[in-house]
Amino acid sequence: MRYAILLMGAPYSDQASHSALRFARALLARGHRLETVFFYHDGVYNAARLAAPPQDEPHLVDGWAALNAEHGVTLQVCIAAALRRGLMDEREASRHGKSGYSVEAPFELTGLGQLIDLGLQCDRLVTFGP
Amino acid sequence: MKLHIVNCAPDAGRVVQQALSAMTTDDRLLLIEDGVQGALPSLVDGFSGIEGRLYVLREDLEARGLMSRHDDRVTVVDVDGFVTLTEQAEQTLSWY
Repeated sequence: MRYAILLMGAPYSDQASHSALRFARALLARGHRLETVFFYHDGVYNAARLAAPPQDEPHLVDGWAALNAEHGVTLQVCIAAALRRGLMDEREASRHGKSGYSVEAPFELTGLGQLIDLGLQCDRLVTFGP
Repeated sequence: MKLHIVNCAPDAGRVVQQALSAMTTDDRLLLIEDGVQGALPSLVDGFSGIEGRLYVLREDLEARGLMSRHDDRVTVVDVDGFVTLTEQAEQTLSWY
């Protein structure tokens, strides 16, 4: 089956990100395809390239990037939720006159239309909320 | 059949009541995260009416030291079983 995950919880604030990553690994192990993880609301903080958690804790940003590297999972971040929280890639940073940027590949900024498409095109869309 | 996923404890607002009121007669409900507290014998009566369709996630029970303390009327599934439940349901609805 084709799956997508909608993640709306902030990393390290609640369990949603850990639950979603665990669920992603489990469905891939069962032979399903995970098309996309869509990060929305405070879930966009999962895309912060400067995240530096203690070494003895799970590194969520790296965990998502590994899903992309190993299974081709696209990592889509709602651009409206991201910009207002200070999360932007190099192009948006330049456009807004910022000196640094906080989102990089494999995360990509995208719009809510992509989330609608996921709901229509995937067999299952599973939400993890805060 | 829909799978309803609840991550809130029964005493944390009206999330559980809202999920239960949205369920049809063949829907299933899975308790995850803090929601696993609902599987305790003292709280499971809040889910009367969905006997046989109530599930709880093993990993989140274990993380809270509740693995052997859940009520027998609740079916324990691991994360692999969580995926299976989503395969069997046409849709999933998350309540948080």
